[in-house]
Amino acid sequence: MSENEPPPPETPPISRRSFLRGAGQVAAAGGLLGSASGERPQAESDSSDGVETLSGAIEISLVVNGAPRKVEVEPRTTLLSALRVHLDPPLTGTKLVCDRGSCGACTVLLDGEPAYACLTLAVACRGKQITTVEGFGTPDAMSDVQEAFCSKDAMMCGFCTPGFVVATHAALERRPDADLEELRYELSGNLCRCGTYPHVFEAAQEVQRMRGKDGSGR
Amino acid sequence: MSAADPSWGPREDLDVLDRDIPRVDGAVKATGRAVYTHDVRVPGMLWARLLLCPFPRATVESIDVAPAEALPGVAYAAALKEPGDEVRYSGEDGVLAVVAAETPEQAEDALAAIIADVERAEPVVSPEQAKADGAPIVNRRPGATSNVDRRNESGDEAAVEAAFAGAAAIVERTYEIPVQHHVCLETHGHVVEPIDEDGEVLVHASTQAVSGLPRALAGAFERGGRIRVVTPHMGGGFGSKFGPGREGAVCAQVAEATGRPVHLMLTRADEFAMAGNRSGSKQTLKLGASDDGGLVALRLDAERYGGVGGGALPRPPYIYRVEGEASVMSRIASVHTATDSSRAMRAPGHPQASFAMESAVDELAYELGMDPVDIRVRNLESPVHHRQLERAAEEIGWYDHPHHIEPGTPDETGRAVGIGFGVSVWSPGGRGSTCDVTVHPDGSVVSATATQDLGTGARTYVAAIVAEELGLTVDQVTPRIGDSSLPPSVASGGSVTTGSSAPAIKDAAHRAREALEERVSTVLEAPVGGYVWKGGRVMVRDDPDRSLAWIEVCALLREPLVARGQFQASLYEGNVHGAQAAKVEVDAMTGRVRVVKMVAVQDQGLPLNRLALRSQINGGMIQALSFGLLEQRSFDEQYGYLVSDNLDVYRIAGAQEMPEFVTIIDDEDQRPAVGGMAEAPVIPGHSAIANAIYNACGVRLTRMPFTPANVLEALYGKV
Repeated sequence: MSENEPPPPETPPISRRSFLRGAGQVAAAGGLLGSASGERPQAESDSSDGVETLSGAIEISLVVNGAPRKVEVEPRTTLLSALRVHLDPPLTGTKLVCDRGSCGACTVLLDGEPAYACLTLAVACRGKQITTVEGFGTPDAMSDVQEAFCSKDAMMCGFCTPGFVVATHAALERRPDADLEELRYELSGNLCRCGTYPHVFEAAQEVQRMRGKDGSGR
Repeated sequence: MSAADPSWGPREDLDVLDRDIPRVDGAVKATGRAVYTHDVRVPGMLWARLLLCPFPRATVESIDVAPAEALPGVAYAAALKEPGDEVRYSGEDGVLAVVAAETPEQAEDALAAIIADVERAEPVVSPEQAKADGAPIVNRRPGATSNVDRRNESGDEAAVEAAFAGAAAIVERTYEIPVQHHVCLETHGHVVEPIDEDGEVLVHASTQAVSGLPRALAGAFERGGRIRVVTPHMGGGFGSKFGPGREGAVCAQVAEATGRPVHLMLTRADEFAMAGNRSGSKQTLKLGASDDGGLVALRLDAERYGGVGGGALPRPPYIYRVEGEASVMSRIASVHTATDSSRAMRAPGHPQASFAMESAVDELAYELGMDPVDIRVRNLESPVHHRQLERAAEEIGWYDHPHHIEPGTPDETGRAVGIGFGVSVWSPGGRGSTCDVTVHPDGSVVSATATQDLGTGARTYVAAIVAEELGLTVDQVTPRIGDSSLPPSVASGGSVTTGSSAPAIKDAAHRAREALEERVSTVLEAPVGGYVWKGGRVMVRDDPDRSLAWIEVCALLREPLVARGQFQASLYEGNVHGAQAAKVEVDAMTGRVRVVKMVAVQDQGLPLNRLALRSQINGGMIQALSFGLLEQRSFDEQYGYLVSDNLDVYRIAGAQEMPEFVTIIDDEDQRPAVGGMAEAPVIPGHSAIANAIYNACGVRLTRMPFTPANVLEALYGKV
């Protein structure tokens, strides 16, 4: 999907107004102190004039790793929280580290493009294909990138690893022939503290070699 | 019955160890299936959050949690300070309240609803504020009347001055190192489950001390219970995760009060505020040398900045040797601020000492017209360092580099290229640790010890050492770690884990092997000790045709065979050496430093797993590069807000900062013993970078990190 294409019809745009209404609950709570009722806010959904307005907890459907999943979220719920907390059972491979779009540990693919799940609202992901690290492979059937991360020891504590695996898949989709300098650029949205970067680059290059050899990648 | 003491054996006989072994938990980590404490989900679990005081010092007027309790989904809210209580420093003492709710979002709302009224006091976050006349006393030492604690004073001033009088060259500078953070990607925290019907309290913890944590946490539980700590995976510790912390105690409190499982992991901002740091320092170092480059006199006046903690700084002359008795003096003080205590961090104090000492030694070389490699060789006693420095010099391209004894100058585009060096030593610990190896009649093998894998690859050698001893492959042995109910092991600090665990695992495997040989001898009729275990078979040493397959050996067992192994000092090595070199490009127009290549040469005794060992050494170099170029904690001094409270402000090195790495395991070291490799490689990298900047363009960086602003100031003075 190109950047200019409008979102598919089953994904009404979230207006800035409704986004602020959801996010504002934190700040507003202080102002509502005397009247806080203990009641769960009523779910509201109004899609007149083509702009959908959401508030309160609502059930939405997300397509995660190819399967439709029902999940109850609020407008302010991030995709990261929806995946890690609200899905039942949750998917905890995607990691929360900075919660501020600085580290890439929460990288997922949205319709094939890498995105920080901590900066993405769950309600904005309806109708999109969400791919998490779990969607690329299982311990018994790993993707080529996951295999290469193991053979090149591109992980230590492993907490950044899911984000790097997803980012590496995306990088090699975007630039199958990336040289080392380009790989550094493509992977610069992800941070590691243990210092696995050199082995991550080696893993990506190993995948390039393998794909070149067996022709599966390009 | 013992036929022989356990030994690592000749390297050429090894089939599993001293090779590249992919880590055994690679697949679960790479596919997102590894469950960290952050990822624990227990039915009925509450999400807890802490409310931290934004001011380092304050008096609590009131904390009203009722508005939080009234919000949807909130199961618990409690003030943790009383009216009149003081907040004495930024960090653990600033925890004002806790909330727990059904979802993280509801917990966040509850936190925002608490009304905490505090009276802010003077912040005292900088050493200058702490030393100012009339500064409030934030030093927690009983009876303290000053924020400066003088300690570690040694040496005779007159004798040292006399030694300086005989020096051919003297250099003196003041080096400043900011406070840095561990930045574990998994923040600190626990999931505490309520006591079960057997009286067990299950605690999931992100800890580097699985065996010790139950005891450390015991006081937090009013109702008692037998605490079991589990840490199957943990997302980095680097020295900051030994104790349960305030967050652990509060988590226990909430779990007891609610009778529900409680997930309390620090947010990133909490982590920066209260989960420790590497102490900063200011060191005025004066160093004298004779005309052949031998160090003859040293004087260090240093301050350590460990917040309410003491900070760390080893005594001079650190790694180097200074000739003559009484030629070294040092005064090291701790300047206390009202900030979070420093904690152990990967080679505590050593990167700080390295920066000053390596810079001064380097400067003396240029003063004397000596090669910076030669002056190091001249003043380092170990021949291991000599060969490592020469190897590092060769690999970095020193011998083809145009300027050795005087620095270069920027070319017409402002670009300058330089090379610098640094060395390290470390004494990895080794002490009591235990391991059980269990061989089952069906041929399965379990190697179990309560150690933790911080990302070092510990889990992998827990299996690999046993596989080597029994002639199996790594995947035939199941490692069990990260559970305090397993045989006790040590906390992971000071590179102690490998030196402690590996000998115990080896000992257990050796005992299991001898016990198996007793059974085997009834069939193959050779005595215990007369067998070779290789390729999944046991063979009579003198007659390899007499052999049994592994599965046949195990079939001789009627019940599982359990062998308990202990730490064996003979299997452990307590000294490692390293040399590192860095090549940098300095842009004299912008002040930007780009590290283009780093080389590490590191000895280690027997490398258990060469692949994981290279990862460890790379990690050390990268953290040192990151300290050198980017990292510093910053406080707003007027109000005391922690400014660097997330990764957008507190920057760590990413993919774009990565140079080419050459990582060399020094195989001239053939010591038949093992030690850890956590600290040594993190010590000298930033020093090598500083020295490379000097070699490139003739300016000596005395303040870390080497940001464009600091480089420009060094080049052109303060603007």
